[in-house]
Amino acid sequence: MEGLIEDLTRGNVTEVKVVLATVLLALAVYQLALAAVSYGKVRPRFLGSGPATWAHRAAGDTIVVLAVLVATACIAYYGFEEGGAHAVFGSLLLGALALKVLAVRIGGSSSPLLPWIGVALFGLFAATWLSSAGDFLGVG
Amino acid sequence: MGRSSQLWQIAGSLLVALAIAAVATWAVTEHFGPTSVARLEAQEKRFDQRQDAREDRAKAREEAAEERAEG
Repeated sequence: MEGLIEDLTRGNVTEVKVVLATVLLALAVYQLALAAVSYGKVRPRFLGSGPATWAHRAAGDTIVVLAVLVATACIAYYGFEEGGAHAVFGSLLLGALALKVLAVRIGGSSSPLLPWIGVALFGLFAATWLSSAGDFLGVG
Repeated sequence: MGRSSQLWQIAGSLLVALAIAAVATWAVTEHFGPTSVARLEAQEKRFDQRQDAREDRAKAREEAAEERAEG
């Protein structure tokens, strides 16, 4: 698995992971904005609640796929041992992602849990990014 | 709100998501600079070539000096 990850990233495993994690964080910020429009907290004239909800789901699906890819590469290449806080935040993040998917499947889009899980997810994305990619970029 | 308007809004929202992903990718790769393996290998190759050329010139000078000493 390590060899495959090395080949796919052409030896730039950390750099590719940092780029993907940063894209994930940027999309997570956008997701918050879309969710605010979707729940009617913000009402821009150029975007209705329905289209915002649809785009939120589409971007969310992309985020789940990217997050699973990054997590797989991270665990397979670096393991848990050296992770520290990053490993803890990353594991909690994957758990929260799974919980959100479950909440949507079971409770539907009107589940009262969704906004809370969404905000927690954003916090975990930020913490996971800061403890690894942010450190690498000199931000964390 | 018409169906066509909703479709435009969805398309616009997805395009914004794509733009955000592109800008994030550009910003981070710009921050890294020339750290890709391919670029580092190319730098190393150029360095080796310059080193070889320096060694060749030094060797040629030594041989010329020896020839002059013998002659």
